[in-house]
Amino acid sequence: MTTTGARTRRPRKSTATKSTGSKQRAPRAAEKAASEGDASATTAAQAERRMHDVDESQEAAERSADTALATPLDLLLSKAGSGPLRQFVPGMSGVRLAAGVARHPRVVAKRTAGLAYELTRVGLGRSQLAPAEKDRRFAEEGWAKNPALKRALQSYLALGAAARGLVDDAGLSWGDDQRMRFIVENVVEAAAPSNNPFLNPAVLKRTLDTGGGSLVAGSRRFVKDFATAPRVPSMVEADAFEVGRDIAVTPGAVVLRTDVFELIQYTPQTPKVRAVPMLIVPPTINKYYVIDLAEHRSLVEHLVQNGQQVFCISWRNPDVRHADWGLDTYGQAILEAMTACEKITRQKQTSIFGICSGGLIASMVLAHLAEIGQADRVAAYSLAVTVLDQERAGVTSALLSEEAAAASTLASKEKGYLDGRTLAEVFAWLRPNDLIWNYWVNNYLMGHAPKAFDILYWNADPVRMSAAMHRDFMDLAMRNALVKPGASTMLGTKVDLGRITTDSYIVAGIADHLCKWESCYQTTQLFGGDTKFVLSTSGHIAAMVNPPGNPKASFQTAPSGGGRQGSDNPKDTVKWLARAVKVKGSWWEDWTTWLAGRTGEERTAPRRLGNAKYAPLDKAPGTYVHDR
Amino acid sequence: MTAERARPRAEDRVRNVTVRGVTGRVSVRPGVGSYTDQVPLLLCNGIGTSLEALQPLVDELHPDRGLVRFDVPGVGGSQLPPFPYTIAGLASWVTALMAKLGHRRFDVLGLSWGGGLAQQLAVQGPRRVRRVVLVATGTGTLMVPAHPRVLRIMSTPQRHRDPAYAAKVAPQIYGGSMRTHPARGAALLHGATRSGSKLGYYYQLAAMTGWTSLPFLRLLRQPTLVMGGDDDPIIPVANPKMQAALIPHSQLHIYHGGHLGILTEADALAPVIDTFLDDEDPTRTRSTPDE
Repeated sequence: MTTTGARTRRPRKSTATKSTGSKQRAPRAAEKAASEGDASATTAAQAERRMHDVDESQEAAERSADTALATPLDLLLSKAGSGPLRQFVPGMSGVRLAAGVARHPRVVAKRTAGLAYELTRVGLGRSQLAPAEKDRRFAEEGWAKNPALKRALQSYLALGAAARGLVDDAGLSWGDDQRMRFIVENVVEAAAPSNNPFLNPAVLKRTLDTGGGSLVAGSRRFVKDFATAPRVPSMVEADAFEVGRDIAVTPGAVVLRTDVFELIQYTPQTPKVRAVPMLIVPPTINKYYVIDLAEHRSLVEHLVQNGQQVFCISWRNPDVRHADWGLDTYGQAILEAMTACEKITRQKQTSIFGICSGGLIASMVLAHLAEIGQADRVAAYSLAVTVLDQERAGVTSALLSEEAAAASTLASKEKGYLDGRTLAEVFAWLRPNDLIWNYWVNNYLMGHAPKAFDILYWNADPVRMSAAMHRDFMDLAMRNALVKPGASTMLGTKVDLGRITTDSYIVAGIADHLCKWESCYQTTQLFGGDTKFVLSTSGHIAAMVNPPGNPKASFQTAPSGGGRQGSDNPKDTVKWLARAVKVKGSWWEDWTTWLAGRTGEERTAPRRLGNAKYAPLDKAPGTYVHDR
Repeated sequence: MTAERARPRAEDRVRNVTVRGVTGRVSVRPGVGSYTDQVPLLLCNGIGTSLEALQPLVDELHPDRGLVRFDVPGVGGSQLPPFPYTIAGLASWVTALMAKLGHRRFDVLGLSWGGGLAQQLAVQGPRRVRRVVLVATGTGTLMVPAHPRVLRIMSTPQRHRDPAYAAKVAPQIYGGSMRTHPARGAALLHGATRSGSKLGYYYQLAAMTGWTSLPFLRLLRQPTLVMGGDDDPIIPVANPKMQAALIPHSQLHIYHGGHLGILTEADALAPVIDTFLDDEDPTRTRSTPDE
């Protein structure tokens, strides 16, 4: 098997995807995948590939942005208390791998013989092994033309394939398999000859060209990056952007400031606006400005220009004094923000848009409102890249164990918070090819400055998570408590997501490796109302930052309506995908149309922001967003 | 905390500015009216506190005056620098920061720990720094020391991280009106301020160890206003007196109050600063007002 592309590394499915595309090079892998993968996985893989083909034409920066991360709950959770190294300790999974391998001596012997045979062919120069065409690491001509480098590369490919094959052979359980695959994948990727300054022809050339200057510049970058946490290569220069000057620039004002958050009201940009205000609840684990990036890439700007009255919460970056801020604190904050929106616009309703972990808290608040008989305060509910059902939510949940969970909760409790920089390290090592080695070569070996890209700048601006919040999130994830009615509480009432009967619009990204779209989709099975599910292209962030105007943008959606639970959104994601139609354009446009139908009459835009009680305190983006 | 504004003025704008690879959180209020073309006043904060702590003073200074506040690297919303720094290094960074903000020349006010930085800025930038205000600050290692109990409390950032502890120790270390209203200390340190990492605090402490301004005070050329409280446990009143005696063009202003008097009694003390900064020729009077 050849080295697979960045995006399709999910085991099994990706094997099928890739090998059908490159039969010539890896016939054995293809057969194997076909025999292994069941029919449904193959269908899903094919559908996935359809989308990937669109994806893969995106620019390189977009690609890393895709993998740049916001936050998956499950993982968060365990790792960050203890740092990134822990996930590389194979533990019992390693023991079971060894046992699994020992149980199949004949297969292993065959694989070893195969490897020896291939290595001999490599030595003789007869091997046909070659990297995947899209593998940019080996794009340089030298890898194919220089006999020594070619042999180094081919030996690496053969060894990597053999190592991955061992995991295939061991026949491990789902969790162990995910964990071992993750570790093996990391080791294989770290060993790539392109990471070695003495083997990478592009690096050798550049070293000659600059008289060694590139290495000096690279070493300087290395020292700077690794002197402080997060100890990962920087993906963007620290001063590539400035919040409030070239990102987060949609005009507005802070109309409410509490200990926990600042509420930003955006200035209407249309003569008429929808009566019902919209409140955006961003993730608590990243800065809010992912929805207000550079001009023409800002979701807020798009909403404002489409006649919405937009309010957005900007969470405070909690520190050690805020250790006891838990789910209830944040839930209460959302209610306060809703009240402010309603008072300022003189409405009895708000439409809510929750993103990632913000969506999770907002969902619990909606359930709370339903429980206390105020469900009609929410006019429309939108959710983006949010996982409420944590069952098998990807590699991250496989890496999560009860003990690790307990250990990390304890660690954050002692410290008062969970450090966003530790999280960044953990994340980076989840996608080492994209987030470590790519920049390792670019920043240190080549001595280049990383590209200025707004999403990466945002990604490099981490925040902390209070200890109590960490504990609460962790508890939800471990018990998968949102799925069971009444298994969790919000502000003193039991949470039953089925009681949410507001119309909802749910967005996920097909290549999202953090909040897998299949997991996001499960939300349609939890809510009681009419749920429209939209599957965007790309990953966690790029799915969300999807401005209209991109000719390649598209999304898939299936008809929904009537609010009859289960009638329109089948439980099985494969069935849903088969029924879904592909729509050209960005979901932003589809969404604003959907919103327009649910956010009241049009009326003259207010001339002033805030009101007498909520007087503007500061210009957007306010002050909390600047807290590091 | 941005409170109700009594007088119209330009807005404070908080932003992150990266200088020499270290990102600092800065609050800038441009000068307006007759102060548009005047040099701005750079405020250097005490140890471990973020720029919000200076709000009471900012509210009382002339509303048109241009002001720059910043979080020292490692404190509040600023990034922790990779390595510990020296006062001289920090002064150089701050000068570069001011240049990046477009201010080649500026006045500087230093409170407590920030006073050390202000003295260093003054000696390092004789042309860049126009006037200096030193408030409740000493000369570094060589000074009349505080009581050991006070020094012990100052040696950890505990009071910035734990409101209950802050309320308990405030009267002992800050003196002045804190003795009668200890909760004010906690409120000042906690209201809207940001808390940095412990390491950031220790970097600040380390920067001051071994540093002293005593040898170079005679070399300062800028008109300087030295202020000190008569009930300041951290900086015994002998220190400002000694500074004023050593700095050639200096005025001394001793007020009734404690270490944070400039914040708790800002309404009375801000006009003194304004008068000094706006005075045509502050060197002509070398007065030592009676207490």
